[in-house]
Amino acid sequence: MNLTRRMTLQSLAAAALAPALGGQAFAQGATFRIGALNPVTGAGSPYGSGMQKMILAAAEMVNAAGGAGGRKFEVFSEDTQTTPQAAVLAAKKLIEVNKVQAVVGTWSSGISLAVIPLINDANIFLMNTSGAPALSVPPANAKGLSYRFQATNDRFGRAFAELCEKEGFKRPATMAFNNASGIGNTEGFKKAWEKKGGKVVANVVYEPNQTSYRAELQKVLAEKPDVIVTGSYLGDTTIILREWFQTGETTKWVIPAWAANPQLVKAIGNEAAEGLFAVDSISNEGSPAFAAYDAAYKKAMNQPGLSNVYAAMTWDMVVTLALAMEAAGPNADIAAINKKIREVANPAGTKVSTFAEGKEALKKGKINYEGASSVLDFDEHGDVTPDFSVSRVEKGEIKRKYIVKI
Amino acid sequence: MISFIELALNGIVSGLVIGLAALSITLVFGVARFPNAATGDVMSLGAFAALAGASASGTLLVGGLAGIGVAALVSLACYFLVFQKLASRPPVASLLASIGVAFVIRAAMGVAFGHQQKVFDLPLARPWRVLDIRFHPTDLKISLAALATLAVVFLILHATPIGRRMRAVADDPSLARVSGISPRRIMVALWLLSGAVAGMAGILVGIKTVVTPEMGWDLLLPAFAAAIFGGIGHPVGAVVAGVILGIVQEVATPFVGFTYKIALSFAVLLAVLLFRPKGLFGTVAGAR
Repeated sequence: MNLTRRMTLQSLAAAALAPALGGQAFAQGATFRIGALNPVTGAGSPYGSGMQKMILAAAEMVNAAGGAGGRKFEVFSEDTQTTPQAAVLAAKKLIEVNKVQAVVGTWSSGISLAVIPLINDANIFLMNTSGAPALSVPPANAKGLSYRFQATNDRFGRAFAELCEKEGFKRPATMAFNNASGIGNTEGFKKAWEKKGGKVVANVVYEPNQTSYRAELQKVLAEKPDVIVTGSYLGDTTIILREWFQTGETTKWVIPAWAANPQLVKAIGNEAAEGLFAVDSISNEGSPAFAAYDAAYKKAMNQPGLSNVYAAMTWDMVVTLALAMEAAGPNADIAAINKKIREVANPAGTKVSTFAEGKEALKKGKINYEGASSVLDFDEHGDVTPDFSVSRVEKGEIKRKYIVKI
Repeated sequence: MISFIELALNGIVSGLVIGLAALSITLVFGVARFPNAATGDVMSLGAFAALAGASASGTLLVGGLAGIGVAALVSLACYFLVFQKLASRPPVASLLASIGVAFVIRAAMGVAFGHQQKVFDLPLARPWRVLDIRFHPTDLKISLAALATLAVVFLILHATPIGRRMRAVADDPSLARVSGISPRRIMVALWLLSGAVAGMAGILVGIKTVVTPEMGWDLLLPAFAAAIFGGIGHPVGAVVAGVILGIVQEVATPFVGFTYKIALSFAVLLAVLLFRPKGLFGTVAGAR
């Protein structure tokens, strides 16, 4: 009796659910689902919210222009908490529950590297803003579905070496946060510096979440470097620089701009921050695409678009994806869209700056999307080469000094 | 040699701060008998409240008192809202609930204060050199504050009637009840005290590092390690263990490097527990 009732209930439930499932499958034809997987909390939090809002804004823009390849974007937002564990859980949810076809905006290499196996298994896109060299090649990018909108750490390292040469430093040392990105920066620097015939006097790799980094500093400073090059994040850099300043040493610092930002200057004070070098890959400033992004960023975040170089990247991700979908035509599958990504972004073709413009131009022939984050030309690994800016902190202001091209 | 002394000094300061967090955990464990995973987030909350208090009043002293007060009250609220109702259940229920409480507090801090890092606005000071060893004034103040907190906690535990009753409940809850000790009042005092200690720990970590909603949670593991190492439920043990782990970590760095120093402190913990399963100061009963 009991069993029969249970079975009846089960079949009733199945019957009730069936139309719902069918409806969902049907709806999928008309929408393209994107997972906005961004560092809203944790070390990436200065950028995460802006990145996520620009994904939403760009998707809205595409939808308002009638969608891409006949499909409208539907965005599902998740927080990586800037930790690989949370990011993998969130990516699983996006893929298995929300059935997204692209995960966009992962920040920090540890996270992109952790998420990418799931992406490959699901045969969907990953568009990331991470720097680790390992993301370019198999096994991580075995299927060629991952695109990087940020300079590789290796390229950052090369930019650091250019800077150190130009500024006349002789005895550089490095300090790296123990993850793929931090070590990628300092290894890239070391490689480029040694190629120039220089020598790195000390290399330290440190662990996150410590109450003090004095032991690490002591080791580096013992070698009397004239400059310390870091692969670091905001929180640890704040602690390290405060402790460094308190030692009374006068070493110079070269720091990636995701750590050497206005918040860092505010946290350590103008005196300690004076003379720090901040290196950043720069957006495609002055381009029409950047102007469009800037307007959207101001509207959503009430801050200038220049303040968040990663948000320009996430904006470009959605636009690039949409243009490729438009070029591939209605109901194109992932493989067909993937074939079109370089075609719509790389040279040969009419230069376009917005989705609407590109959609029009595609009717006439090939296009070349010149993005807000860079001119966005993908190499065979799906990597781009932006230019770099070198800024210096002067009286509490981070002032841009010159541009480094590599 | 000098660098070793400096490393050890560094370890003592880090260890005292972690020891305070461990003390908060061990107090709750001794009396309420479960490992409270929300301790870290009460720490963060104390730091945020202290920041708010300091910027409103302009002095760190008022800010610190505000931080301790808020942490104590939130800790008490957690007891009334959650842990009191779970007191008759197995400890694992309270442990899991405390993880949930931790999430709620952290999320609330994220909404209220944002996820961007904040810092205590203190001037950076150059170190004093005594016999060529560098002493950092901020570290000295942090250590003094930690030691003062410890002194107050031990005074409360050993020189006040409520402290004596608290220890009685920790020793034998049913015997304490038949002796006429009201468990309710003990619990109120316990949660206020452990919250205040966590708040103080959070403020000191915040002064030493940066304040974010995640800072306390990130320190939970070392704090638990110190609490277990010291013999869980034993207040002196927690602090001593924190300091030992701090020193071991720092002094070992020239030999094992920086990436393995945390692993090393856990190796020490393992070794000690192998030979003394009850921890450094723990008794066979496991709680005091």
